[in-house]
Amino acid sequence: MPRIEFNCICKTYPDGTRAVIDLDLTVADREFLCVLGPSGCGKSSTLRMLAGLEPVTSGDLVVDGKRINDLPPQARDMAMVFENYALYPHLRVFDNIAMPLLARRRPRTEIRERVLQVAETLQITEHLRKRPQALSGGQRQRVALGRAIVRSPKMFLMDEPLGHLEAYLRVQLRAEVRRLHERLGATTVYITHDQEEAEAVSDRIAVMNGGRLQQLGGLIDLLDRPVNRFVAEFIGRLPINVLPAFVGAGGSLRVGETTLPLSPARMARLSASGAGPVTLGIRPEDVSAADADGGQALPGRVVVLEPQGDRTVIIAHTMAGRVSALVPSRLVPSAGAAVELRFAMDRAHVFSADGANLLHGLGGSG
Amino acid sequence: MATTKEARLRSSGNLRRGTFAIYLAVCLFVGFGLFPLYMMITTSLKTDLQTFEWPPVWIFTPTFQSYHNALFVFGGRSADHYLLNSIVVTLSSSALAVFLGAMAAYGLARFRFSGNRDIAFYILSTRFAPPVGFIVPIYLMVQRSGLLDSQLALIIVYTSMNLSFVTWILRGFFLEIPIEIEEAALVDGYTRWQVFLRVALPLVKPGLAATVILSAIFSWNEFLFASILAPGDAATIPVYLAGFSASMNIDWGEYMAVGTMAVLPIMIFTLALQRHLVRGLTFGAVR
Repeated sequence: MPRIEFNCICKTYPDGTRAVIDLDLTVADREFLCVLGPSGCGKSSTLRMLAGLEPVTSGDLVVDGKRINDLPPQARDMAMVFENYALYPHLRVFDNIAMPLLARRRPRTEIRERVLQVAETLQITEHLRKRPQALSGGQRQRVALGRAIVRSPKMFLMDEPLGHLEAYLRVQLRAEVRRLHERLGATTVYITHDQEEAEAVSDRIAVMNGGRLQQLGGLIDLLDRPVNRFVAEFIGRLPINVLPAFVGAGGSLRVGETTLPLSPARMARLSASGAGPVTLGIRPEDVSAADADGGQALPGRVVVLEPQGDRTVIIAHTMAGRVSALVPSRLVPSAGAAVELRFAMDRAHVFSADGANLLHGLGGSG
Repeated sequence: MATTKEARLRSSGNLRRGTFAIYLAVCLFVGFGLFPLYMMITTSLKTDLQTFEWPPVWIFTPTFQSYHNALFVFGGRSADHYLLNSIVVTLSSSALAVFLGAMAAYGLARFRFSGNRDIAFYILSTRFAPPVGFIVPIYLMVQRSGLLDSQLALIIVYTSMNLSFVTWILRGFFLEIPIEIEEAALVDGYTRWQVFLRVALPLVKPGLAATVILSAIFSWNEFLFASILAPGDAATIPVYLAGFSASMNIDWGEYMAVGTMAVLPIMIFTLALQRHLVRGLTFGAVR
């Protein structure tokens, strides 16, 4: 099984759009890598270059030590699953799945055997004689998966394969995708903008934005140790709180009129980067709300309550702006109540004006 | 309540009268269009005596004497020879035009190159000039290459004339195919040429049927170039047909019989291909 290397890859479209900029990324043998990012971040361009559907503008695309920039798609031994399935509408499901084998002129009996086997794995045997138009979205995506796995390729490329499906089907199929990966062991690059999906299927996640790779790692890494403000804001089930803050003398951190408690290591780091305005990032999970009692907490007033089962998101207005906190439902203050918001500062991030995380690499979560 | 009901009744009466008027107008217009065809077919089935009777005979026992005369009695080449010419020229030129046009259209639809749009427009613009305008140069070209009065000359000329609109129409059809279907085929291991033959062409079948029909009708009925480039042995049916009206006393029965025989093949051809004209084949392929 192959290892895929992107060496300083750039993609510039004829209209001047720079879709991918200086991408350096290695996908290990048998790895399942998710590329995650908002639309237009360059993730699809990256996959299309890998598939050979878009020419690489500059840089080297290397698979198993061999540069493949100039290989046509049919010579790359990759299978691709498209967001909109891209089934052959004029062919029955059986022939749709058989197409990659037909392209390789495999014997008829082998084709039949393989297609039936794949159809059984994906539970679409009863639909083999139908045309794609007669299938539901979930069934079509299974056919597309079948077409991809039927010839046991070395690499799988998936471009938001579950994007058009209903929520419950997405959850069901992503488990199947992961199971297929474990069984087949092919190196997989999977594109999505859904972080839960990325977490569910992948070994590692690459976050892209504006054509650049932002960070590479597991979801916990990305959640707790974001390298910059973009990753911090993009990752997380609840949006992270971002508040204007100020670094004072000696690395003290002030939000509104409250000076927040920081460990000496953090203060040293902030002090080194100099005094001035910064942005504090703190996840709602790391904010607690208590009755007003003064001290090193940010005073605010509860404006909205969003119950989420045993926990509730409270949104409070403070001098520094809106802050949300995720608190156990039995401890929720009433709307309109004055609260003191306390931040778990060992899990807080401080971003400089250019978005870099000043506390990155510090301690357990900073 | 009563007044609104009345108003509704009145308006629906108006509506019915309006619809009736529209249908009447359409029927008259269709009658105007079909009457010559009716006259041609009935005249071909009459005897000479019945043809010239006044008032016209509407009900009579049909006779196939005129057909017999046209096919077996007339001196020189008979109608079937020219019918065969027409069939050969029409089938060859339509097939060629659609095959070459499909390749050109696919290239225009799928590949980015400078001037792509200009070329597409330029291809269509070759039909802007009235054909009479360049009949002399074409005559000279055909004459110098020794192709005068040959089927090949007509096939080449008709192919070139049909090619432009075939290309233009099919380009639109190719553009409608979701690009991912072809990309999937490329990734599945097919070369561009195989993708064209095995995926793109089957998906534009309605377009192929439409352009084959239009090219065939054009080639079948073309008179101007046929009469000048192939006036003799290689003449097509319109040229042969025109010969009837040129003689001093017109054999109306035979004239109309050949006319009827000239309509039939292209009609059958069109009807046979018509079922392929259904759209929506690509529906449901994506999303």
